[in-house]
Amino acid sequence: MLERSHVGEGSLANVIEVAGLTKRFGPLTAVDDVSFNVERGEIFGLLGKNGAGKTTTVEILEGYQSPDEGRVQVLGVDPKKGGGSWKDRIGLVLQDSDFDPSHTVTETVKLFAGFFSHPKSVAETLELVGLTDKATTRIGRLSGGQRRRVDVALGIVGSPELLFLDEPTTGFDPSARREFWTMLEGLRSSGTSILLTTHYMEEAQHLCDRIAILSAGRVVAEGTSTSLIALAGTTTVRFVYVEGLDVAALSREAGIEFSVQGEVVSATLATAQSQLLRLLHYVEHEGIELGGLEVVRPTLDDVFLDVTGDRA
Amino acid sequence: MPVGFLALFNSVFGGKYKTIPVDGHNISTIAFYTGGLTTYGVMLGAFTGILVAIVGAREAGWLKRFRGTPMPSGVFLAGEILYLFVTSLGLIIVMLAVSHFGYHLSLPAHAYLAIFCYTVLGVFAFCAMGLALTRLITTSEMAGSVGPFTVVILSFVSGVFLAPNLLPQWLLTFSSYLPLEPIVSGMQHAIALPGGSGLQLRPFIVLGIWGVVSFVIAQMNFTWEPQRG
Repeated sequence: MLERSHVGEGSLANVIEVAGLTKRFGPLTAVDDVSFNVERGEIFGLLGKNGAGKTTTVEILEGYQSPDEGRVQVLGVDPKKGGGSWKDRIGLVLQDSDFDPSHTVTETVKLFAGFFSHPKSVAETLELVGLTDKATTRIGRLSGGQRRRVDVALGIVGSPELLFLDEPTTGFDPSARREFWTMLEGLRSSGTSILLTTHYMEEAQHLCDRIAILSAGRVVAEGTSTSLIALAGTTTVRFVYVEGLDVAALSREAGIEFSVQGEVVSATLATAQSQLLRLLHYVEHEGIELGGLEVVRPTLDDVFLDVTGDRA
Repeated sequence: MPVGFLALFNSVFGGKYKTIPVDGHNISTIAFYTGGLTTYGVMLGAFTGILVAIVGAREAGWLKRFRGTPMPSGVFLAGEILYLFVTSLGLIIVMLAVSHFGYHLSLPAHAYLAIFCYTVLGVFAFCAMGLALTRLITTSEMAGSVGPFTVVILSFVSGVFLAPNLLPQWLLTFSSYLPLEPIVSGMQHAIALPGGSGLQLRPFIVLGIWGVVSFVIAQMNFTWEPQRG
C-alpha cells in the first residue's frame, strides 16, 4: 500500500512516463532519446520494424532491462525498483513465451492466478480470450494462435491496471485477429490501460488511441492515427488508361498533374473535391468511360513508409 | 537406476568379498553399496535435477515470465529444491526396502536420523552446485548430459562403485575434498556401524563449504533471461 501512494512527480493521469530514454548495446544505440506518455485508460501503440527498439523499450518499462539514460515511471514507480505490489498491478504478454506443454490451459491459468492478489476467475479469463472450449486441453496440443491466447490469458488474469502486449497477434489468422481486437476494446472499456507493440499498421489504426512510430531507436512520429494520416496529407486518384484519352489535355483541363505508369493513370490531389469535379466533368464531356476509378486516402502504411524513410 | 546398480554390484562383488574396508572399519558389502548408491542417487537426482529444471525453465522463458509476476523470485527455486528433496527421500526408502527385504540388511536405530540429516545436507549442497553451473550450461540437453556425467565420474573415485582400497592413496586423499566421498562414507558408517549418533562432522564441513561457495557463485551469476537467441 505504501508503494501505491508513492507516486512520482508525474501526473496521475499518466500510467507510463518516458523521458529521454536511451539504451545502448555496445556500439549500437537501440533506444535513442525516446520520450512519450501513456494516459490512463488508453491503448497506446508502439510501431516499428523489427529492430526499431520496440521490445527493448517495452522490456525497460517492464523492469527486465535497465536504461542507460533517461527517466521512466510506470504507475508512478521506477520499474527497476518495482516490487511485488507493483507487479501485482501489471500484466505482461512477452514477445515469446512458452509454457509447460504437459499442463492444461486451466492448470496454467490457475497457477498464474495464484500469483496475484485480485485475480479474475479462470472461467472469466478463458471466456475473454476465447479459450473456454480448450480449458482442459494440454498446452502442447494447442495451435500457435491458441497458445498466444494463453499468453494473453496469463497477462490479464491478475486484473492488471496496465497491460503490456509485445506483438500479441503475430501468427494469428485474420478472423482471430479481429476477435482479439474486440477483446482488447473490451478491456479498455473496463478501464485497463494498454501498451501495444505491433508491426501491423491495420492493427494500430484500428485499436490505438495514440501511436508512436519508432525507427532506428527514435520516435519519428507521434499522435492519433487520424492526425498521423493527416500528416501524410494528400489523396490519390487513379484509373485504368483508356484508348483515345489525351492525358495532357486532361491534366490541363482538370488542373491535375497526371502521370502514366503502364496501364494506370494516377495523380495526387491537393484540393480533392474541386479537382475531382473538374476531372469528372472533362471525361463526361469527352464521352470517355473511366475503368477502375479509385480515390484513396493515405493509410497508416503510407505514413509509416514516409516517416521511416522506406518509401523508395 | 541406483536400485539396479545395487543388485548388479552386489551380485558381482558380494560373492567375492564379504566385507569392504571403509575408514578403518570393515563393513558388509551390502551396507557399502546401499550407502554408496543411495548417496549416488541423491546426487544424481539433486544435481542433475536442478540443472535440468533451471536451465530448461530459463531457456523456455518461464523464469523470465515468472519474474514479471508478483511471485517472489525465491519461491520457484525453493519449490524445485523441495521437490528434489522429496524425490530423494522416496529413492532412499526404496533403496533401504530393497536392501532389507532382498539382502537382509538391518539398520542400527540411529541410522534413520543420520540418513535424513545427510540427505538434507546432500540436497542442499548438490542443488547449490547445480545452480552455480546454470550460467555455463545453455541448453537443457547439455544439462541432461553434463549432470549425470559429472556424478558418475565423481562416483568412481568416491567409494560408490569401487571399494576404496582398490584406489591409490593420492586419489583417496584428493576425493576426500570433493563433495561426494565424505557424504558417501558418512552414509556407509551410519548404515553399517552401531553406536553414537551415526553422524560424522566431516561431511558437514566439506559439503557445507562446497554448498555455501556454490550458492554464493550462483547468487552472483544467476540469470533469468534465456541465453540463446
